[in-house]
Amino acid sequence: MATRRLKVNGNRERQEGDDRERRRIKSTAAMRDLMLKYYMEAKAAEGTEKKIAWITSGGPVEPLICFDVIPVYPENHGAMCGAAHMNVELCEVAEGMGFSRDLCSYARGDIGSAVTKGGPIGGLPRPDFLVCCNNICNTVLKWYEELSRFFGVPLYIYDTPFVRGPLPDHTRDFAVRQMEEYIAFLERMTGKEFDEHRFLDVAVKSFAAISLWAQILSCNTARPAPMTCFDAFILMAPIVTLRGTQEVVDFYEGLLREMRQRVEEGIGILPAERRRLLWDNIPIWYEMRNLGRLFMELETCLVADTYTNAWTFEGVDPERPLQSMAEAYTEVYLNINLERMSDRQVSLAEKFQVDGMVMHSNRSCKPYSLGQYDLAREFTRRTGLPVLIIEADHTDSRWYHRTEVEGRIRDFVENLL
Amino acid sequence: MEEELVNQCVRLWEEPLSHMARIREQGGRPVAYFCSYVPEEILHAAGLTPVRLLGSMRTITHADAHLQAYCCSVARTDLDMALAGELSFLEGAVFVQTCDTMMRLSDIWRRNTGFPFHGDLVLPVRMGEEISLPFMVREVGRFRRQVEEYLGSRLEDEALWESIRVYNRNRALAEEVYRLRRENPGLVDGLSAAAVLTAGFWMRKEEHNALLERFLEAAREGVPEGEPAAVQLLVTGSVCTTPDLYRLLRELGADVVDDDLCSGHRYFDCPVEDEGSPEEALAARLWRRVNCPSKHQSLEDRATRLLTQVKESGAQGVIFYLQSFCEPHLFDVPYLKRKLQEEAGVPSLVLETELQSFSRGQLRTRLQAFIETIAGV
Repeated sequence: MATRRLKVNGNRERQEGDDRERRRIKSTAAMRDLMLKYYMEAKAAEGTEKKIAWITSGGPVEPLICFDVIPVYPENHGAMCGAAHMNVELCEVAEGMGFSRDLCSYARGDIGSAVTKGGPIGGLPRPDFLVCCNNICNTVLKWYEELSRFFGVPLYIYDTPFVRGPLPDHTRDFAVRQMEEYIAFLERMTGKEFDEHRFLDVAVKSFAAISLWAQILSCNTARPAPMTCFDAFILMAPIVTLRGTQEVVDFYEGLLREMRQRVEEGIGILPAERRRLLWDNIPIWYEMRNLGRLFMELETCLVADTYTNAWTFEGVDPERPLQSMAEAYTEVYLNINLERMSDRQVSLAEKFQVDGMVMHSNRSCKPYSLGQYDLAREFTRRTGLPVLIIEADHTDSRWYHRTEVEGRIRDFVENLL
Repeated sequence: MEEELVNQCVRLWEEPLSHMARIREQGGRPVAYFCSYVPEEILHAAGLTPVRLLGSMRTITHADAHLQAYCCSVARTDLDMALAGELSFLEGAVFVQTCDTMMRLSDIWRRNTGFPFHGDLVLPVRMGEEISLPFMVREVGRFRRQVEEYLGSRLEDEALWESIRVYNRNRALAEEVYRLRRENPGLVDGLSAAAVLTAGFWMRKEEHNALLERFLEAAREGVPEGEPAAVQLLVTGSVCTTPDLYRLLRELGADVVDDDLCSGHRYFDCPVEDEGSPEEALAARLWRRVNCPSKHQSLEDRATRLLTQVKESGAQGVIFYLQSFCEPHLFDVPYLKRKLQEEAGVPSLVLETELQSFSRGQLRTRLQAFIETIAGV
C-alpha cells in the first residue's frame, strides 16, 4: 500500500513538473542572454572610444542607435535593483546626501548607485552625455540635472509639453524642431555626421519591433492567456532599451512565434484561469514573485496593463520617420489628459475581456498615480467593472505592507462576479 | 498710517476667502490661479479679476477622494475648498503646467467642480532658449483665444497693452518695496514687505498699485523704529500660505531681508518688454523671468541667483520653506545647500510643512535653534 501511494504521488509530481515546463515561456532565456550581453557591452565600453548616453525610458533612443551610441537606462536599472531587493540601500545613500524620502525611488536609487557603484551589476557605466525626455514626468528633469552636475557631462532635454485633447500644431512643430536639434547635438557629441539612410534603417527596425511587441501583447486576448503582464514587464526590457536594432527584431519575432504557438495549443501561463484583470501603473518590482504566486493561486491572470502597452505607439509612419517619431514621443500615455487615458483603459478592458482592474497607486510616480481615483470611477461607470487600488512604491519596499495588500487582493478577486 | 495699512494687509492674508467673495458681491469676476506663470494681464484685460489660491490650513474632507496623500498640501487643500463649495464665488480657474501634480490637478478640478471657466496654459520645460520661444508665443496666443471664446468677444491689443502697463507698474513698485527693505531693513521689515505684496493677490492691480504707493510714501518718510532684527535671513521655496513664518521669525529676534518665493520675489521678477505683439511680449517675459525649479534654464541658474541674492541682501542664513512632496524644490535642496555652504559660508535650514497638519510649535523649535546658531548665542 505504502509503496503504491508513493508511486502515485511521484507520478503526480512528475506530471506537475511536466505541466510547469510546458507552461514556461522559453524565450525568457533568449531575453536574459540579450540583456546580459547588452549590459556587458555597455560596461565594457566605459572609458573607451565608444560613447555612452543615459536616457529616460520614454526618450527617443533611435537617434542614439543611429549614431552608434550605447543607450543606458537608469529606470531599467532601477527596476533591476528593485527586483533584486537592492534598491532600498541605494535610496538610503541618496537620503544620506539630503535627498528627501518623498522623491521618486528610481531617482534616489540611481543617485545612490552613481555614487557607490552599488546594485546587482556594480552600477551603470559612466555616461558621456545625458538625454532626458519629460514625456513621462517632470521628475526626470530634476533627476537628470543632478546627474549632469554629478558627472559633469552635457544634458540634452527633449521637451514634450503636455497634450490636452488632440495634438496642437505648435506642440508638433516644437517636437519636430527639437528632433532636428537633437540630431545636431548628437553630431557634436560623437563627431560623426548624420547618416539619413542609417537612420531610416533604424527607424524601420524600431517600428518593426514596436509592431511585433503590439502583436505579442495582443496574443493575450486568447483564453487562456499565454502570459501575464508580469511576464510582459520582464520581456519588455529589449523594447525599452534596444529598439532600432536587428537583434531586438529577431528576439521579438521568436517571442511572437512562441506566443502564437501557445495560443494555438491552448497553453496558458497559469495552471487555471478563472478571472482576467487589467493592471495599471509601473510594477511593484520587489514584489513580482509574491504577487505572481498569489494571482496564480487565485486562478486570476493579469492579462494586460497600461504600462507595457505604452511601448506600442500607434500611428508611426516610416515615410516621415522624424516627424511621426516626434509626434509619437509627445503623445505617450503619461503625457495626455485623463479622458484620453480613460479611453485607453476602457479599450484595453474591452479588447482583453477583463473582469476588473487593479491599480497600483505608486508613491514614486505622480503623473501615473494622481488622477487614478477619478479614472477608477470612470472605468467602472463606463465598463461596469470593479477596480481595486493598492498602495505601494515601484522600488522602495519600505512603503509596502504585504499582508494588507494581499488581503485586499484576495477579497477583491473572491468578490468578482 | 503705515502700520494700519500693513495690519489690513495681514488680515487679508489671513482671511482671503471672504475678501474674494466680496469682489464677486461688488460685481467683480474672480478667476482663481495658483502659479506665478499665469499671464494675468490677459484675464485682467478681459475684465476678470485674477485671485490667487495659496492653499489653506484645514482638515481635508473632500479632496482625499481625488488626490492621494503623497502630493503637496497646497494642491490638496485648494481642491478641498473647491469641492466643499467654499469657492462658489469663483467664475473659474487657470492651471499652468509646472509640476506633475498641477498637471493632473487641472483635469481633476475640471471634472469635479462646476465653474463656468477652465483655462489651461501648457508650458515648455526649457526656458530662456531660442528653440522654445515660438512655442511659448503660440501657446500664450492660444490661451488668449480661450479667454476670448469664453467672453464671446475679442480682446483688443490696446486693452492688453493697458493691462501690461498696470502690471508692469505693479512689478516696479514691488521691486521698490523689496529694494527699500534690502537697503534699510529697519524701515521696512519682513512681515510688512510680504504682507503688502501678498494682499495684491486678491484685488485689481490698479487698487494694489495705489496701496503700494501709499505704503512706499509712508515708509520713506518714516523713522526707523529702533534697530533692525539681529539676524537677517533669506527664505526660498514655493508659497507662504499664512504670515506665520514671518511672525515666528520676528518673535525669535530674526527677520526676512529677501526671498526667492513663488508668492514673493519670483512673482514680480522681470517686466514685460515692449516687443512685438502682446502675446510675444507676455510669452517672452514668462520665458526669461526667474525660473521655477520645475523649469530649466541652465544647470546653475538657481544657485547663481540665490548666491547673488544672499550677497546683495546680506542675509546671514537661508531657510528652505517647502511643501512636503514638492519634487521640483526637494530635488534642488542638497545641491543648493552645498553651494551656499561652500561658496558663501552661509548656513541653511530645511523646513517642510503640510497645511493640514501645520505645527507652529515644531516650526518654532527648529527656527530657534537655527537662529541661535547664527547669532552665536
